[in-house]
Parts: sequence; C-alpha cells; structure tokens
Amino acid sequence: MFEHLDSRSPVPLYDQIASRIRVAVAAGDLEPGTALPSVRQLAGKLRVNPATVVQAYRELEDEGFVEMRQGAGTFVCGVEPPKRAAERARQARRLVRGMLAEAARLGLSGAELKKAAAKELEGI
Amino acid sequence: MSNAIEVRELLYQVKTFEIRDFTLNVPSGSIYGFLGPNGCGKTTTIQLLLGLRRARGGSISVLGHAVPRGVTRVLARTGYVPEHPHLYPNLTVDESLQYHAAFYPGWDRDRAKGMLSRFDLRGSQAVGRLSKGETGKLLVLVALAQMPELLVLDEPTDGLDPVVRRDVMTALLDYVSEHKATVFVSSHLVHELERACDWIGVMDRGRMVVEMPMQSFKRGIKRLRFTQPPALTQETPFEVLSRSAAESTGLGEEWLVSGWEPAMAQALESGSGALREIVDMDLEESFVALLSRSRASLS
Repeated sequence: MFEHLDSRSPVPLYDQIASRIRVAVAAGDLEPGTALPSVRQLAGKLRVNPATVVQAYRELEDEGFVEMRQGAGTFVCGVEPPKRAAERARQARRLVRGMLAEAARLGLSGAELKKAAAKELEGI
Repeated sequence: MSNAIEVRELLYQVKTFEIRDFTLNVPSGSIYGFLGPNGCGKTTTIQLLLGLRRARGGSISVLGHAVPRGVTRVLARTGYVPEHPHLYPNLTVDESLQYHAAFYPGWDRDRAKGMLSRFDLRGSQAVGRLSKGETGKLLVLVALAQMPELLVLDEPTDGLDPVVRRDVMTALLDYVSEHKATVFVSSHLVHELERACDWIGVMDRGRMVVEMPMQSFKRGIKRLRFTQPPALTQETPFEVLSRSAAESTGLGEEWLVSGWEPAMAQALESGSGALREIVDMDLEESFVALLSRSRASLS
C-alpha cells in the first residue's frame, strides 16, 4: 500500500501516506475495524519522521476515515458508499490532472488526448 | 517550543580553518538534518557542541546547560555516535556493552539485547573483527541503549551498505517514536535524510548557509522555465539563485529560485514574462543549488 512514496514530490509525505490509506478504504481493501500499523511501526517501516505518520492519521481522523483510540491504536471506520464514491472520483480527478500537466509539458492538445484516451479505453 | 540545542555567534579557529558567526537552533523533539559537503566543519561543530573542543567565542547551550561548563550533565543525557568508532577492538561485543552500561545509569539491558538480535550481531564476536557495517550498527546500539534525550550522530551511516543504512534508520526512528528524543544527525548523504528530517541546516566553509523547516526548504526551491523571462525588479518576491539559457532548446531561460510560493505563478503570468514550467527539486538538487549560490556570494 505504501510503495513508492515520493520524497521529491511537492505533495508532502504525510499527504501521500493519508492518500494511500484513503484509497484503500474507498476501494474496500481496508475493511472497517481493521487496525492500521502503529505510528512507531509505520515510521520505522517507511523510514519517515513519526510526526509525519501522526499528521497523516490525524488528517484521516478529521475526515472520518479512521478513528484513533487512546492507547489502543488507529482503526478504519465504516465509510458510507457515497463517501467512498466521492473519494474514488477525487482520485480519478487527481490522475487526470497529473496527466494533463504532463500533456501540457509535451504540448499535446485536448483533442489528441481525448482520442488517445478513447482508444485506450476501448479494450476495457 | 524550546530548543534542545542553541548556538549563538560561535567562533572557532584553528590554523586556516574557522567557524564564524555560526548560529544553530535545534527544536526539542525534532529530527534535525545537518548537511554540508565533506570538510565544511560539521564534525568540528559537533565536537564543540559536546565540549570536545573549545570555542574562541559565542555561546552554546545543550539541553538547557551551557557548554562547556555543564557538559557532564549534557553528556549523561546524550547518545553520541562519533565519526570514528570509540570502541576497544580487543573486547567482545558483550563486553563492550557491559563497559558502556557502567557509565550510564539509564542503560536499558533489554533494549540492548533486543537490538543485538535485530541487528544480527553476535555477543561473543571481538569488536576488532566486526565488519564496517556491524561496527556502525554497534555504535548506534550503544547510543540508543543509554536511553538518551538527545542523539547526536556524526555521519552514522557513512560508508555502510544500503541494507545496514536502512536497519540503522529504522532503529533510530523506532526509538524516537517511542521516546520523543531529539535527533541531530549530520550527513553528506542527502537522500537518506530527506524523508526523516523535519528541520534542516546547511553548513558550508565554516558557516551556516541556511536553517529552516524541511517543508519550506523543499517547497521553496524551484526551477522555473520561461519561454519569455520577466524583468527582474526590486519587488521580485523570491530570490533568484541562478539563471541560464534553457538547456534543451536554447529558447528562453531557466531560473533557480528560493522562497517560492505557488501563488507567485499567477503574478509572473500576469506580468511581462511567460512561465512555461515549474519544476520540483529534490533535497539534493536544492542543496547543491544553495551551496553554489553561497560560494558565489563569498568569492
């Protein structure tokens, strides 16, 4: 779930970590009630500052994706289907924006992109 | 938040080398990456912080104690991994641990034992026969088993292979998560500090070039590519570190800037210039850019 965190990206690491968990929750890979790794475990595993993990977990808690129980750990919350759908839509937009930025750099037009996208999507 | 380490107007001279007007602020609980090229004075600074050398002027305070006067109280609460190992080659690993344990009332035997197996070290092995990687791990083990409030690490992973580097960083972060210790770690290996540090200080030629939170450091330094560069005025809100003709096409210019904020892109667009691209830099590129800038301004 946490492969290829990019410390070069302008997206802060805590945001990248939160994002991976959000996607996993939205996709149903993380079931409600699942315990996330402790701050200590995750910081050690990813070799990031523990404060970074805490920040990611706090953000997820504010958004209602996880619940931090004092002394017990951090657990995935049950997320309503509309919210899951909204999160999936948000991730889709994020992917498209990344693609558009790259396309702008290469000087590709919207029409060219649409054509390519339609062709790639044909088989799916 | 208070500072675990505070240095003001430090002055130190020996032969042709000097540290001058040196200021340092390490917030309590931070992981502070102390960067600089080889020979810039990082090790000397660390030795000054721990009372192993005497400054000519300025003030040093570590964990609330003035150095060198209160240095014994500082050292009792500080785990130090020096540049060169301070272990006796004739002792075994176990004997070395017993030896160090005798100096530190807070020594945690269980932790030492646990780390021994985690680091895959054998207690009966003679220290003099350890590989470089094993020695590096033993040094970190010794520093962590004293249960320090402050860890001062001088190039702790220099010359170690990637697997050992990873083990050492993991053990370090594990300790910090558990005990909220402050870490001051020097390195010229910029990549390994990139993820873990929340503060960064860059030293060059005996001076502190810049000291700031990692986020601002990384966010603020960008490469801007212009098809049509704007006019530089007094009011330009960022600092231009360098400008050159665009590499690939030869059309337009590339600027390296610090103090960048996303909102500035609009201001540039609405002005005379045409901004084509804003390129993110990693820590290493930013570091190199800052150093060449500081050197240009000195010479």
